[in-house]
Amino acid sequence: MGSAYILGVYAQEESLLAAFRKLKEEKIEIADVFMPFPVHEVLQNLGRKSRITIVGWFFGFFSALAVLAFLFYTAVIDWPLNYGGKPSNAFPSFLVVTIVLTIFSITILSLFTFSMRAGLWPGNEKPIFHERATDDSFVILLDKTKVDTERAIRIMKETGAIEITEKQTGQKA
Amino acid sequence: MYNTEIRGPLILGNKSLGQITDDITSPLYARPKFWWLAGLGISSLMMLLGFWAIYVTISTGIGTWGVNNTVGWGWAIINFVWWIGIGHAGTAFSIFLLILRQEWRSSINRAAEAMTVVAVGCAALFPALHMGRIWNAFFILPYPNTRGPLWVNYNSPLFWDFIAISAYLLISASFWYLGMIPDFATIRDHAKSKVRKGVYGWLAMGWRGSVGEWKRYEGLSYILGGIAAVLVVSVHSIVSTDFAVSVEPGWHTTIFPPYFVVGAIFSGFAMVMTLMILLRKIYKLEDYITDRHMQNVAKILIFVSLIMGTAYLTEIFLAWYSGNRYEIFTFFHNRITGEFTVQFWIMFVCNAIIPQLMWFKKIRSNVLILFIISILINVGMWFERFNIVITSLAKDYLPSAWASYSPTFVEISVYLGTLGIFIFGVLLFFKYIPMIAISEVKAVNKYQIENRKSKGESKKN
Repeated sequence: MGSAYILGVYAQEESLLAAFRKLKEEKIEIADVFMPFPVHEVLQNLGRKSRITIVGWFFGFFSALAVLAFLFYTAVIDWPLNYGGKPSNAFPSFLVVTIVLTIFSITILSLFTFSMRAGLWPGNEKPIFHERATDDSFVILLDKTKVDTERAIRIMKETGAIEITEKQTGQKA
Repeated sequence: MYNTEIRGPLILGNKSLGQITDDITSPLYARPKFWWLAGLGISSLMMLLGFWAIYVTISTGIGTWGVNNTVGWGWAIINFVWWIGIGHAGTAFSIFLLILRQEWRSSINRAAEAMTVVAVGCAALFPALHMGRIWNAFFILPYPNTRGPLWVNYNSPLFWDFIAISAYLLISASFWYLGMIPDFATIRDHAKSKVRKGVYGWLAMGWRGSVGEWKRYEGLSYILGGIAAVLVVSVHSIVSTDFAVSVEPGWHTTIFPPYFVVGAIFSGFAMVMTLMILLRKIYKLEDYITDRHMQNVAKILIFVSLIMGTAYLTEIFLAWYSGNRYEIFTFFHNRITGEFTVQFWIMFVCNAIIPQLMWFKKIRSNVLILFIISILINVGMWFERFNIVITSLAKDYLPSAWASYSPTFVEISVYLGTLGIFIFGVLLFFKYIPMIAISEVKAVNKYQIENRKSKGESKKN
């Protein structure tokens, strides 16, 4: 089961933005936009959400608690050792380990989350719609089944697309 | 966003997006040059020597080093701290400047991060070897063992050190790799050869630059950036507690954490400058790594050098002001004068005085002089670590326990070996990884074009 897409390729960021605004205005659903660098207006207005920063905060919060609990369990409950008469629950000096291990855990957990959510892992191959989308072109992707093709193509032409093509893929975008 | 026209463009030559890709990826497609192969050969020989020395160290023992009962920390710890310091640049550079939204970082951060990863790897080698019985190194992990279970001492700076270095290596490597994903995808789509397409395609992990990918990418960059900024400060603070927590004269001071962190950033930035000057010269990247970039780094170095000078003077002043005879002895009769005079003054002149020459614009804009100064700074920083580690240990409280220290051939070889690893790593980086973050430079370039356009018009932002 494949899907058919319409691609509008733009050479300039300005024309991409013009097309993006126009398509939005005309209520034509944009499936995705491929860019060689992040254009923030597109990122903000396409309606995709990323909760990774919020998730990252929770990773930090819970790993800090977990690390502190681990330190407390091992150093105070399981096998309290007397280090020069200092208290077993040496909370202030546990903080160093807690901070660093929290950072360690946030890194690992958010990397995995990123990998899963953004669909990026070694060897993963996603359909590449246009070879120059990572080089010098911006590509707007429309799902052919969901949009009024003629109107969309007209808008793309008006806004200065250097290339408009259709593409079939085996996978969903 | 705040636009200023005084500062001029960040990337020269009015590049188009395609040109940027071509310029930065062209060294990857070119055949290796003679100097590159020669460098690889020499660094391999150095590595070979290093591996031999490591073999001797492990198979025979620490007795092959020049360390003794009095001076228990020799070259291994000096070089460990030195490498970690150099390894601070990448993260300090990309992360502090990322958080401060300094756009000029974009041309430099990739190389600085690459340098960081290699340098931290070199650094980690030393404490591992210094443990002596490296096959027991896993004892430092708090794992449920059959000895009790006896857990590790969480109050010990040596344990803090271990986790800090591990975390730092992990986070700087992942930050570096994350930044490279879009560029690997660029090479995948841009390269002609099948092998390159395959390898870089595998590394790019399916990146296409879609909205969802960019959004999460930016989110993750800020998460990693934010926490790594904490780590940059804490790693070297923790390294300094290895010293400051003890009661050696010259070590037991509260100035140590900031002093170490600043010193690390100082040597790291100097190394960045050394590398950048080479890189822009060899690969003709002067349009990307402009004179202005060099000047900016030079200005940071002046400022940090002032802090270093202040730290040195503060230490000396407090030694005198405390009235503690051991402190006074260490600083006035064992560093400024005495057995280690030469090392002290090399440190002081290279770190606190020579960089001040960069106040003059003529010197600041002369790349050759900047190159020499940047190397001198790292020489000075090596001697700073020598001063800290050796002088305090050699002569502390009991004159009967005083001893001197000189490195053996094995110790020196381990150091040469890590230099070999560093050069080898950097050369591989030059050849196989885009040296400048392509996607970031494109974004910065675009911002400039907008800036140029809005000249004369009323500012929108």
